[in-house]
Amino acid sequence: MNNNQENGGYGISVFKPGTPSKEKTRGIIAFIVLCVIIFVQAFYWLFANSVEPIIWGMPFGMFFVVLFIILEFVALLIIYLAEGDDSTKGGTV
Amino acid sequence: MSWITVVVIIFIYLFFVMFLGAWAGRGRESSVVEYIAASRSLGFFVMYFLMGGAIFSAFAYLGGPGWAYSKGAASFYILGYCALGLVPWWLWGPRALRAGRKYSYVTQAQLFTDRFQSKALSVIIAIVSILAFIQYITLQMKGSAYVFEVASGGRIPFWAGALIAYVVVLIYVFYGGVRGVAWTNVFQGAFMIIIAWILGLYFAFKLYGGPSEMFHQIATANPMHLLVGPGTKMSFAAYSSALLVSVLGFAMWPHLFMKAYTAKSERVIKQTIVLYPTFAIFVVPVLFIGFAGVMQVAPDVLGAPDRILPWMFIHMKFPSVVVGLVLAAALAAAMSTQDTITHAAGAIFAQDLVEPLKKEKHTDKEATMWIRISVVGFGAVSYLVAVFGGQTLVSLLLGAYGSIVQLLPLAVATFFWPRATKAGAICGLLVGVLYNYGIVLKFIPQFWGIHAGIQGLIINFIVLIVVSLLTKPMDKEHVRKFVNL
Repeated sequence: MNNNQENGGYGISVFKPGTPSKEKTRGIIAFIVLCVIIFVQAFYWLFANSVEPIIWGMPFGMFFVVLFIILEFVALLIIYLAEGDDSTKGGTV
Repeated sequence: MSWITVVVIIFIYLFFVMFLGAWAGRGRESSVVEYIAASRSLGFFVMYFLMGGAIFSAFAYLGGPGWAYSKGAASFYILGYCALGLVPWWLWGPRALRAGRKYSYVTQAQLFTDRFQSKALSVIIAIVSILAFIQYITLQMKGSAYVFEVASGGRIPFWAGALIAYVVVLIYVFYGGVRGVAWTNVFQGAFMIIIAWILGLYFAFKLYGGPSEMFHQIATANPMHLLVGPGTKMSFAAYSSALLVSVLGFAMWPHLFMKAYTAKSERVIKQTIVLYPTFAIFVVPVLFIGFAGVMQVAPDVLGAPDRILPWMFIHMKFPSVVVGLVLAAALAAAMSTQDTITHAAGAIFAQDLVEPLKKEKHTDKEATMWIRISVVGFGAVSYLVAVFGGQTLVSLLLGAYGSIVQLLPLAVATFFWPRATKAGAICGLLVGVLYNYGIVLKFIPQFWGIHAGIQGLIINFIVLIVVSLLTKPMDKEHVRKFVNL
């Protein structure tokens, strides 16, 4: 996707030129994981549009929404930690 | 319940917040970058509450239980949206921060205006933001007014209730700037969270013997209440599109976007995003309060669903001190949103509307003065709208409120697509905003219940791309500055 040279420098530019490919892969994975979480949350009714079973005092739908909030938090934490200090140089998603 | 005790507690609370806010800004130099962006120095702890206070608004505290009570499962949307709202900021926040440091921006429009070299864009963004802010503030004022009405047993009228809370906010925003906003939000945020948990669980246990039993009873009495889709209060398409548009649009709110300029470092922004979903967990007990009300009172007895939280209190025979504290927490929710917005509105009006239209550039001192004047002016206007606002005005504001997400293509183009041009940006934004108004004013039908914002966004992107490709590219060196941040 990093076609900086294409279109005479006017192409879509997701990463800063010179970003290491490892960092790029990590950025793309993080992006996909977060998109999946957003879509599951938006379409929660496909998976959990029911009252029973009641878990942790919540109807199943609500439990499912809360579960994905926790998963989101864990995913964000992993992405953050994986970035380490090199994020100060910038460039990742 | 003695109403005097309740009102006294609320006033003590208000005084405390006012002094805390004014105190936070003491001894700081009087400059624009300090007043708007706290000299780009805020750490994680304060950032977390600054962003959290903004979402924990009267909508979450009074509206959330109202939704749980009247719309049931549709209220889960609030949880998803609170949790995910800040995730796209991972893309915009750090980039905006770097751009802000490099080219000294303090508002969102300054960034877009510089990228697209257009003062017109600045004016359009400023007008849309300010109209949307008035709508936002009006909602919070209604919340505050409810609180005073309930606290005083109807002795404090709507106009006075809305006025009291807002004057307090104005005072500390005027003196404290963004630091005042941040530190009061730390206190108010912590206070609200504690009260919310205690209350949500208390009602569930006291009235039903526990949340599980409560939901069993609700499901038996009304099986559709805890579901979404056909036959319930929200259709599938409405739920999903509302959630998506809210998540995409949340970080585009100018008052949130510009907080990227207050952060000390990119790490601070990312830490805030990582921990932001915890705020959604705090909303869970708030929804419990609304669900607890389902079996207690019929909707026609209650009047408006937003009254459910105050109603639950009055009928639980709590001691006056407790009622005072709880109402103060509801007020905290409204105020912690009002302050951020009032502050941002002042900054935007002065920096993005007045400044580009004047011939000479303001000195730093003049600019800070203009922002303070705008803060007070904006406060007065939104108060008048809240008290006297008519139907036409309301749809004008609602249109702007729904238009904020239309700023998204500008952010995408600024950071990722150097080929986007000034004409493309302006046309896309105008079409997106006008389309949204078309739906609000019912000139255009709303297809399949899909959120107007999403529909406008698709058209907005198409127009931006097509018009940009048809017009001459902008100076390469200039546009690459923004993608190479």
